[in-house]
Order: sequence, then C-alpha cells, then structure tokens
Amino acid sequence: MYQAKGINDIGIKPKALAFIAAAEAVGSENWGDVKTGPVTRFSSAEVREKISDKSRIRGVFTRGDQVIGFLKKIKEQDLGMSVVITGVLTEVLAACKKAGVTPHSINYSLGVWGSKDKLPDEVALSVTTMCGHHMIPPKFVKHIMKQVEAGKMTPEQGANRLSDFCYCGIFNQVRCADIIRDNV
Amino acid sequence: MTYCTVDAIYFKDKKCTIDQDECVECYVCIRQKVCPRNAIEPSPLDTFYKEFKHMMSDPVENHPVTGVTGRGTEEVKTNDVSGRVRRGQVGFSIDMGRPGLGVYLRDAEKVAMAMCKVGVELAPAEQSPLAALMPDKSSGKLKADSLDTRLLSVIIEGHCREEKLKDVLLALRKVEKEIDTVFSVGLILRVDEQGMNNTLRCLDELNIPQPHRGKVNVGLGRPLVTD
Repeated sequence: MYQAKGINDIGIKPKALAFIAAAEAVGSENWGDVKTGPVTRFSSAEVREKISDKSRIRGVFTRGDQVIGFLKKIKEQDLGMSVVITGVLTEVLAACKKAGVTPHSINYSLGVWGSKDKLPDEVALSVTTMCGHHMIPPKFVKHIMKQVEAGKMTPEQGANRLSDFCYCGIFNQVRCADIIRDNV
Repeated sequence: MTYCTVDAIYFKDKKCTIDQDECVECYVCIRQKVCPRNAIEPSPLDTFYKEFKHMMSDPVENHPVTGVTGRGTEEVKTNDVSGRVRRGQVGFSIDMGRPGLGVYLRDAEKVAMAMCKVGVELAPAEQSPLAALMPDKSSGKLKADSLDTRLLSVIIEGHCREEKLKDVLLALRKVEKEIDTVFSVGLILRVDEQGMNNTLRCLDELNIPQPHRGKVNVGLGRPLVTD
C-alpha cells in the first residue's frame, strides 16, 4: 500500500490496518512496515501499533489465489490508496483480470545492465534480490547456506533469519527456504 | 565480513575495522547487532554527504525533501494518483548500484548525463533526491564535490516521449560500458485495460528481450489520473 505525498498521505493508519487485515485473511506469508520491520521478526500487534503516516506496508503472497482474494477485498473497500503487485507479468495480469481490477501503469523490468561480472553468483542473487533495497549481504546468504549444510539449522530457519534483514516485509522466506534446500 | 551489504568491514589482526570510504551508512550491521561485543556505533552524520549517504542507503529513513522512505522516490508506485508518467510518455527508473554493488555518484552522473543528452527530462528535486545534487537538472551533471560519495543505490528518475525510447535505450547501452557498477532498468508506461503498451515493440529492434517481470500499479488509488 502506498500513499502519495500531498495527495492521500494523512491519517493512513485505518487504511493500512484494512490492508493488513485483507493480506492476513488470504494467508500472506510475510508482511511489514518499513518503519518497524517484518512480522517474521516483530509481532503483528507491534507492527500495527506503530503505524504512522510515514509507514509503508508491503507483503508477500506465494499463490495466485491469494493475490486475487486480496485485490477483491481491497477493491470492495475502496480505500483509495495505491496498490502495486510485483511479479511475473502474465501471472499478475491474470490475477488482476480475475479480481476485476484494471492495471493503470507498469514498471517493466529490463534487468541488470553494466558491470555484471562484478555481481555475486546466481544463487546468492536469487535470495538477495528478494529484498529490493538490498539489505541482505550476499556473504550472509552463503553463511546461512553453510549452516544449513552443516545441519545447524533447517532451510526454514535459515530463510527466516535472512528475512529479518529486509525491513519492508517483502522478502519471500518460503521461496528462500526452497532455494536454500535446492542448493545445499 | 559476512554481515556487510557492501563488504566494508575488514577482519585483520583479530580485529574488525570499517572502511569509512566504502561504508554506505545503511545501518544493517547496527540494526542486526552483528558485533558480539556491541562495538559498532553509528558514525556522526556531520557532513551533508554523510547524511545524504545514510538517507539513500537506509530504507527506514524518510528523505527530508521528498518525504518518502526507501530511496526517496514514488516512481510507478503512486502513478495512478500522481500522474507522474502520462499516456504517450515513457518513465525511467534507473536503479544505480542495484543489485548490491553500490554506486559512486560519479557513475550515476555519467548515466544521468547520457539520458539527458538524448532528451530525457529528469524528475525534479521534490520527487527525486538525486536531482537535489544537480545545479542544472537539464544536463544531469552533479555537484563536483558529490562525485566521490558512495551509496548503496540511488534512482535516476525521468521521462521522455514514447518516440524517444529507442534513443534512450541506445544511450544506456553505450554508457553501461563506461561505469564501474551495475544498474537495473525500469520502464514505466501507462497501459491499456489488458495491461499492454505497444511502445515495448521497439525492444525487438534492439534485441532486448521483452520484459516478463514488473511492478503493476493496479489503479485503486483515488483520485484516479486517467490521462
């Protein structure tokens, strides 16, 4: 959920709570407010309590039916806040159609350009890029994978530890656990 | 060291040291309490560029001018109510230093100048923190004393007419060879009811793969911008 500066950025807390309720109702795996942190680290009550007009609420869905259900609930309530769904375009657009919402604008990703030889390996990138602000150090991903490999933690525990670093709550720890499992 | 987003923590002689020139002030090490002896403290943000570095690199902070968290820009996120990119235009969100390499502003300047030369109008300082460092926004040139500043990432935001998209992509293709980091390219377009825009056809002429991922603004903001 996004508020626009000078347009609809005052008194957002009740709307943010409605967004969170809709996300939780369809089983969002992770969500958070960048000003407090993700629910993988902080309690849902604490994140809700601290919501202010500076908050930004983001979350994760792992199935198309969750996205459709969430969009239907938000459309019904007509909260007037901007909503962005990020993902594979064919899947997101199909979900929009089924939910009865009309896409307005799209930020198309044309990928990474420049000195790509300096990037970490694909496995680390597939985890770190789930946090758009890049709060997850690539070497920490490798460290966690070694811990899992050594039997010191499960893939799920490793993924949850990594999700702590992404304050938005947009990190998909379910997918991350799969990546860890497939690569150790 | 394991915990640093940009490898600015070094371990030598049984002691960890933070390279202050490499550090981007993202505060990940502080927030995650990674030092077992609790020895890491924030360094004083006692210059404009140190504060700018922290504001840009730590998404928890709100940028003081734009008022927005993250990298301080709204881009496509609120386009349904801000109308930042209208029909007939292409918006650009060039995420310098992402993913994860960081960026010196000298490299951001090269890309911004290349875009301006082919007709991109950069977003103003009220919308885009980088523009606040440009004495003349039409050139993309940054203040000389900013160029050695390193950030985790910074977004170059602007727009042009759809007809100019090919020129801008060619300019980006040229300048990508002249910088010491990476950037993620985002094209922002108004779309039809099916979520399509024919402007993307020009990608085929340039052998750029059609995008299969993106951020879809689903048009639920009010009042809705319709043009």
